[in-house]
Amino acid sequence: MTTNRRQVLAFGAASFLIAARPMPVFAETEIIKLRDLYEKDQSFTKLAKRLEGQRVGVEGYMAPPLKAESNFFVLTRRPMAVCPFCESEADWPDDILAVYAKRVVDVVRYNVKLVTTGRLELGAFTDPETGFVSRVRLADATFERA
Amino acid sequence: MKTAMIAAVSTALLTTTAYAQDAASSSVRQAESSWYKDGQARIQEMLARQPNTNRAKNVILFVADGNGVGTNFAIRLFAGQNQGEMGEEHVLPYETPDFHSALVKTYNINAQTPDSAPTAGAMNSGVKQRFNTINLSEEGRHDNCASEEGNRLTTFAELATEAGKSVGVVSTARITHATPAGVYAKTANRDWEAEAPEGCTDIATQLVDQMKAGVVDIALGGGGGMFFSEGANTEGAYKAKRTDGKNLVENATDAGAQYVYDATTLSGADMSGEKPVLGLFKDSHMSYEVDRPESEPSLTDMTKAAIDYLKTNDQGFYLEIEAGRVDHANHDGNAYRTLSDGEEFARAIALADELTDDEDTLLIVTADHEHAIAFNGYCGRGNPILGICYDVDAEGVKHSDTPLLADDGKPYTVIGYLNGAGSILTPKESAEGGEVFSGSRPDVTEDEATDVDYIQQALIPMSSETHSGEDVAVYAKGPWAHLFDGTIEQNYIFHVMHYAAMDASAEGASGQ
Repeated sequence: MTTNRRQVLAFGAASFLIAARPMPVFAETEIIKLRDLYEKDQSFTKLAKRLEGQRVGVEGYMAPPLKAESNFFVLTRRPMAVCPFCESEADWPDDILAVYAKRVVDVVRYNVKLVTTGRLELGAFTDPETGFVSRVRLADATFERA
Repeated sequence: MKTAMIAAVSTALLTTTAYAQDAASSSVRQAESSWYKDGQARIQEMLARQPNTNRAKNVILFVADGNGVGTNFAIRLFAGQNQGEMGEEHVLPYETPDFHSALVKTYNINAQTPDSAPTAGAMNSGVKQRFNTINLSEEGRHDNCASEEGNRLTTFAELATEAGKSVGVVSTARITHATPAGVYAKTANRDWEAEAPEGCTDIATQLVDQMKAGVVDIALGGGGGMFFSEGANTEGAYKAKRTDGKNLVENATDAGAQYVYDATTLSGADMSGEKPVLGLFKDSHMSYEVDRPESEPSLTDMTKAAIDYLKTNDQGFYLEIEAGRVDHANHDGNAYRTLSDGEEFARAIALADELTDDEDTLLIVTADHEHAIAFNGYCGRGNPILGICYDVDAEGVKHSDTPLLADDGKPYTVIGYLNGAGSILTPKESAEGGEVFSGSRPDVTEDEATDVDYIQQALIPMSSETHSGEDVAVYAKGPWAHLFDGTIEQNYIFHVMHYAAMDASAEGASGQ
C-alpha cells in the first residue's frame, strides 16, 4: 500500500514536470479523451471495448444538469451551455458520455474542463428517473478540474 | 519594307509587357524581385479582364455562414498550411484574379449585428429585413404570425422558376435553418422549423409545399427530424420533431419526389431532373467535416449531386449552397472546426467552378455575417493559424521558435474570440450575494491550441459566441460579375443575380 502510494506520487510529480501543469493522475487509471471512445460512425473504438468494465479517466465538460440534486450528468467534448431539454431546437451531440457519480453532483460551470473517473459501461441504458438514453457511461464516478 | 514594319509594330504590341519590364528594370532596383514581378503580372491579368455581358443561364450562390473577412483570412491560412505552404500567400479558389469582389454591409433593418435569417432573405429578395424574420417586408414583426399576411415577399427562386429555371438548395445545417430557408420560406420566426402558430406555416412544410409547387427541385441537407412525427415508419426516418402527426417525407414522395437519406441513396437517386429530390442526411445539422462518417455526403458531394441534377434543365438553374457550420463552430469558440468546414467550403466551390462554364454561369461566393473572432500579433510568417503566436525572425522569413508572451507571462494563440464559452472569466459567489466574474488566463501549449476540440480564449463570458456586424466579402465570376465592386449593401446581391439572369439581354450586351 505504501509502495503503491509512493508510485502515485512519483507519477504525479513526473507529469507535473513534463506538462508543467498538474493533472489528476492515478497509477492504474488511463486518462483518455471522449473522442477516443467513438468512431466517426458512432460505433465504439477498440480502446472503448478494451476498457469496458475498468475505471478510466475521461476529459470533457459538464453539460448543465437535467435536474437538481442528482448524481447524474452528461460529459461533452466541448462546452455545451444550452440545456437540450429546455431549448426545443437544441440537440445533444452524438459523442457524449453519461456520468453516474458516487455522490450528488456539485455542479461545475459548463466551460470548465474536467477529468471524470469511473467504471466504463457500454450498451444502451435508459435512466429510470430522467428517461435519458445513454450508450456509454461512467459509473461510480468522481471528477476533478483538469 | 511595309510588311516588315507592320510585323515590327505587331511584335511591339505583343511585347508591351516585356518593354514595361525592361523599362522598369532599368530604373527600379527591386524589379527582379518575385514580389515585383508578381505585381506586374497581376497588372496584365487585370488589363486582360473583359466584362462578361452574357445573360446568366445559371446562378450559384455560395454562402459560408459566419465567414466574414476575418474568418476567411483564417481559412486561407489553414488551407494553405495544410498544403505545406506558409499560408499567408495561399489563394483560395475564389480569390483568383478572375473573380470580381466587393465588401458587403450585412446589418438588418433593426439590427447592427445581423442574424442569418434576414441576411439570407436580403440576398434572396433584394431588400433588407428585420432580425429573426425571413422574406417578410419591413412591416413584418418577429414572432408575430399575423404580421406575415400581406408582407410575404417574392423570392429569387420564384422568379427563376417563372423564367423556366430549376431551383436547388444545399446546406450542411438543417435544410430548414435560416440560410437555406431564405431560398424558399417566408416566416415571422426562423425557429418555426417544425411547427408554427395557427395561421402560419412551419418552414419544413413550406419546403415541401414549394417542391410540390414546382419551385424547389432539389434540396439536400440536415434537419430530417423536422419532417417526421412520432411513429413514422419511412425508411431513413429521423427522431421526430413534429407534433402535428404529419410525415412530410411521405407527403413529398406521394407527390412524386424522391427521398434520400445517406451517401448511398443519394448516389442511387434518379438525377435526370424528372423527379424532385429531397435529401435529409441527419436528424439535425449534418456533421462537421472532421467528424463526418462516410455514410454522410460531404458538402462537395452534395454540390456535385445538385449541379448534376440541375444541369439537366436547358433553361438553367438557381442554386444556393451553404456551408452552415462554419458559423456553428465559431459560436462554440472552436476555431479548428470553423476552419476545417471552411476548407471544405472552398473545395465545394472549386468543384462547382469546374462543373460549370464561366460563359453562362454566375458563380457568387459570400457570407451572411462575421463573428466576434479576432487575431493577435505580432506573429511571424507561417505561424500555424491555430497555434500559439511565435516571434518574427528578423533574419529569416519563417517565424522563430520563441513564443510571444503577454504581460501575464503566458503565451497566447493567434486566434481569439471577444466573447463566448472560452471566456477566462468565471463566476464566484460574492459576499453581498450574486455572482462576481473574475479570472486569469490559463496557460496554453502548442499541442493544446492545435487540438481539434480546443476552445480559444475569449473575454466576455457568454454561452454562445456572437456574430459581429463587421463586413463580409463577396466574390463573383461569370456573367455580370463585374457589377460587384466597392462596398455594397447585402440586398444588392439579389439585384446582380436578377440583372444577370433576367434583365440582361439574352444576346449579351454586344447584341443590344
